[in-house]
Amino acid sequence: MNDRKAVETAPLHLPVTNVSTKSSLKKFAVRHKDALIATAILSPMILWWLVLSGFPTMFGFFLGFFEWIGIADSPKFIWFDNYVRFFQDPLYYEALWRSIWLGGLVTGITLIAGFGAAILMNMPLFGKGVYRSIWYIPAVTSTVATTQIFNLLLDTNNGVINNFLKSIGKEPIVWQYSVFWGVFWIVVYSVWKGVGGAALIWLAGLQSVDVSLYEAAEIDGAGRWGKMRYVTLPGLKPIATYIVITSLIGAIQIYEQVLFMTGGGPYGKTEVLVFRIYRDAFWDFNLGMAGASSLIMAVVVFVGTVFYYRWSTNSDRSSTIPIKRRS
Amino acid sequence: MKDTLSRKVAVQLKPGNLFAHIVLLGIGLVLLYPLVFMILAGFYTKTEFTSSIIGLIPIAKAPTLDNFTVLFSGTADSSIQRYFVNSGYRTMYNTFWALLTSLLAGYVFARLRFKWKDQLFLILLGTQMIPGTIALIPTYLEFARWPFAGGNDIFTGGKGILDTWWVYFIGGPSLNIMGAFLVKQSIEKIPYELDEAAKVDGAGTLRIIFQILLPLQMPIMAFIAITTALATWNDFATPFFYTSSDKLQTLPAAITRLSSAAASPGAIPNWPLIITLGLGMTIPALLIFFFFQKYIVQGLANTGIKG
Repeated sequence: MNDRKAVETAPLHLPVTNVSTKSSLKKFAVRHKDALIATAILSPMILWWLVLSGFPTMFGFFLGFFEWIGIADSPKFIWFDNYVRFFQDPLYYEALWRSIWLGGLVTGITLIAGFGAAILMNMPLFGKGVYRSIWYIPAVTSTVATTQIFNLLLDTNNGVINNFLKSIGKEPIVWQYSVFWGVFWIVVYSVWKGVGGAALIWLAGLQSVDVSLYEAAEIDGAGRWGKMRYVTLPGLKPIATYIVITSLIGAIQIYEQVLFMTGGGPYGKTEVLVFRIYRDAFWDFNLGMAGASSLIMAVVVFVGTVFYYRWSTNSDRSSTIPIKRRS
Repeated sequence: MKDTLSRKVAVQLKPGNLFAHIVLLGIGLVLLYPLVFMILAGFYTKTEFTSSIIGLIPIAKAPTLDNFTVLFSGTADSSIQRYFVNSGYRTMYNTFWALLTSLLAGYVFARLRFKWKDQLFLILLGTQMIPGTIALIPTYLEFARWPFAGGNDIFTGGKGILDTWWVYFIGGPSLNIMGAFLVKQSIEKIPYELDEAAKVDGAGTLRIIFQILLPLQMPIMAFIAITTALATWNDFATPFFYTSSDKLQTLPAAITRLSSAAASPGAIPNWPLIITLGLGMTIPALLIFFFFQKYIVQGLANTGIKG
């Protein structure tokens, strides 16, 4: 007993007196130091972000419940009429459907081609760096500028591709009058722009796979295909989830190439939903429909992401299949 | 010496590697074709371009450098060098702010412990999935109603900050969410003991961020700088929607205006000018890319691996 008391009272003349006189404010500051610093750093940025992105986005969704055509007009609250129209008017639900399959098509081609390129770039080649650069260059160019170059190549009268067709004795094609060719060139442009980035991300994934696993697989008698199937592909799982989700989110929201290449034509048959939103907002000033369509787009993207993420984290069985031993 | 060289060549000529060379080079050239075409077409005069038949490889019969010099001298009706300067300043300004906000926010989310941190971060990341188009009109309204600016009393009366330099300045200090995410991922890989040691030595939060952690974030910072710089350099929407006077235009907005004028029925596109502006946009982007491509590859690797 005495001993303990001695210990407790001994250092009293040291900083302990300071602690007892500390104000409660200071104690609060010490205890919540992290939170205070976080607030000081984050709140100006988040506040500014709310003013410039958060609030306009919420306001846009809010507009979905109004009929508001033309900024000068006054908005009228109409509950869910815009959403009802969305699913009744083929202009809208077809555009949504087109966004989904076009986005899926672009993502699929880009990722598969990029994967093939990444495997080749991962081989011991002289000048790999040059190939990486060449493939990535389209990604750094501006959509506005390069779509114009594509338009120039596709010009009906003096476009390079039609000139080429004429020179080999084929009929020139009026690309702009055909839905098929409109979609075709939008897909070609999107893949052209995206394939290099996809290849680089896959390549990073390939290089992050543990080399000792390949050696182990070799000892277990796996051939080239076996190594690919049981080591490379399972090792790429996290990166595959990442790249599929981000590419899909990007591809489903494609609209600049539609705006600059086909303008949605012919007869609105190449319109995708985000282009439709753009068109509603800036050409027809139908702000209500633009807001409603945006909310639907956001929900589709969100639900798709969650489902894909669930599916890809649950189906982890592929990596547990044992490799057959060579007898 | 010679022996190793010939062995190296022999390795490159193995069937598998030769196949890889052919495919990568062949498709690579196809990918480059539109840009090669743009550069070659830049040597045409306007009359030759519209009157002669353009082949797969366009070689001008009377090559001219006028289209390139116009980038620096401007033409009678459009001051291209001004678009250049505007694009350049805008790019630097946005890049600076993107770096600062992502570094600070990334540090906060990686290192500090406070209530609702993960929830807040998830919400911010989730907003990245919302199509940006939805905010265009509300932003326009917000800019037009900006309090006490451009002749507004509180909300109405003038044109707000539309068609002023504020349209460009105002976005700067906003939080860069993707950048913050990347910095967070990158800081989390650095052992916390480093911060602790600095704290013991008496370093404050800012010193830890800028003197201890920042030097280790250079690859990811370079990646954020490049992607922001390229995105701003190529951004047509902001100037196109929120400004109208010529002195505020940037290169992509100018191209957009030219090409949408070309899209109206009966108009003949001014292809040489469009090509010139396109070159003016593409060449600096390529230069940025070539100088920093090492960081792009590293940065993409970092973004992917943790998912």
